[in-house]
Amino acid sequence: MVTLTINGKLVQAEEGEMLLAVIERQNIDIPSTCNHKAVEPYGACRLCTVEITHPKWPGWKKHVTSCLYPVEEGLVVSTHAPEVIELRKTLLDLMLARSPKAKLVQDMAAEYGVTRTSYEEVPDGNDCILCGLCVRVCDQMGFHAISAVGRGHGKEIAPPLDEPPPDCVGCLACAQICPTNFIKYTDAGNKRTIWGKEFELIACERTGQPTITKEFAEYLSKHRDIPEEYFKRNDLTHRRELAATMGKISQWQREEEE
Amino acid sequence: MTTHRFVVNPVLCTGCRTCELACSFTHSVNGKPGKSRIYPLDGGFKDLWVPVVCLQCEEAACAKACLVDAITRNPETGAMDLDEDRCVRCMACVAACPFGCSLHDSHHNLVVKCDLCGGDPACAHFCPTQALSYKPIEIKKLKSA
Repeated sequence: MVTLTINGKLVQAEEGEMLLAVIERQNIDIPSTCNHKAVEPYGACRLCTVEITHPKWPGWKKHVTSCLYPVEEGLVVSTHAPEVIELRKTLLDLMLARSPKAKLVQDMAAEYGVTRTSYEEVPDGNDCILCGLCVRVCDQMGFHAISAVGRGHGKEIAPPLDEPPPDCVGCLACAQICPTNFIKYTDAGNKRTIWGKEFELIACERTGQPTITKEFAEYLSKHRDIPEEYFKRNDLTHRRELAATMGKISQWQREEEE
Repeated sequence: MTTHRFVVNPVLCTGCRTCELACSFTHSVNGKPGKSRIYPLDGGFKDLWVPVVCLQCEEAACAKACLVDAITRNPETGAMDLDEDRCVRCMACVAACPFGCSLHDSHHNLVVKCDLCGGDPACAHFCPTQALSYKPIEIKKLKSA
């Protein structure tokens, strides 16, 4: 266990834990967009920056991204120091220049009193805040289908060569994790389209309801050792089958009692 | 070894769906009722209902299918717990569960499954006929092959 001070309060944390997790556990509200439990911390948005100092560094302090900074014994953390607030304001101002229409950015900026950007708006700005969550979750799941391409204004998240990504299985994790809902997909009947690639969804044998893509089911049975027949029916059909089986057993039990 | 287990006895179930209500309200999200994790379904015979609920499998397909390790065994309750903050909603577990007990709550866009209410299932409390109960039972060790 490590003891540190956050906003004047003594708190305990596990060794090796990141500062942001400890701060969130204290119910202290600091903005963060690129952090998710499913992936490793990355420090892309830098909104979770806090001010730290230590009794061992008299007169010194530094600004660190709390999602990437492991706790230390005796650390003194300030999550809302005036300089930190100024820093977050600038970051949100810059984010507004790139993604003026993203609801998440607007809300966070408004909380810090920034309603419009003081910079020149990016001419072809969009809702992507380049947090990299989609790329990281795709890598974490083992597909590596998309990545960040280009630099500066032109930086974007895209599949290789802007063609339908061969490694994508259409699991939609990237679209689901996107904090600004920028990644678009379409589900129409048994067809799914994402990143320009078309997928066929498995239809339940009984009800015809779509479940997951054929490619995803193949991946799961191959790498995760799940029998292929599990994917042939949807959850409702599975439940009905379980009810029917348990029903038969209960019927015998009932007949025996009578 | 004695452990607490969730016991389902379909013969006593009347299909009143009180368990569904209890589950929905216990797992409410921001004050709105959540999707029920338990389903009383037609057992295929006259007056026979089967409350279908997660069996907390020993070798669970949901946990095997999860590519971000969001489903883990809770050592205290023995339930397979799903960490909502870790879940990326890829629906792998929903498709993989052979009993259909990993569910997608489309209202709140969450994947949900039975967590035994942290060791005290609400549905068992509300079941008027004792078809559902949570009680200590003797577990006999299977002979090692």
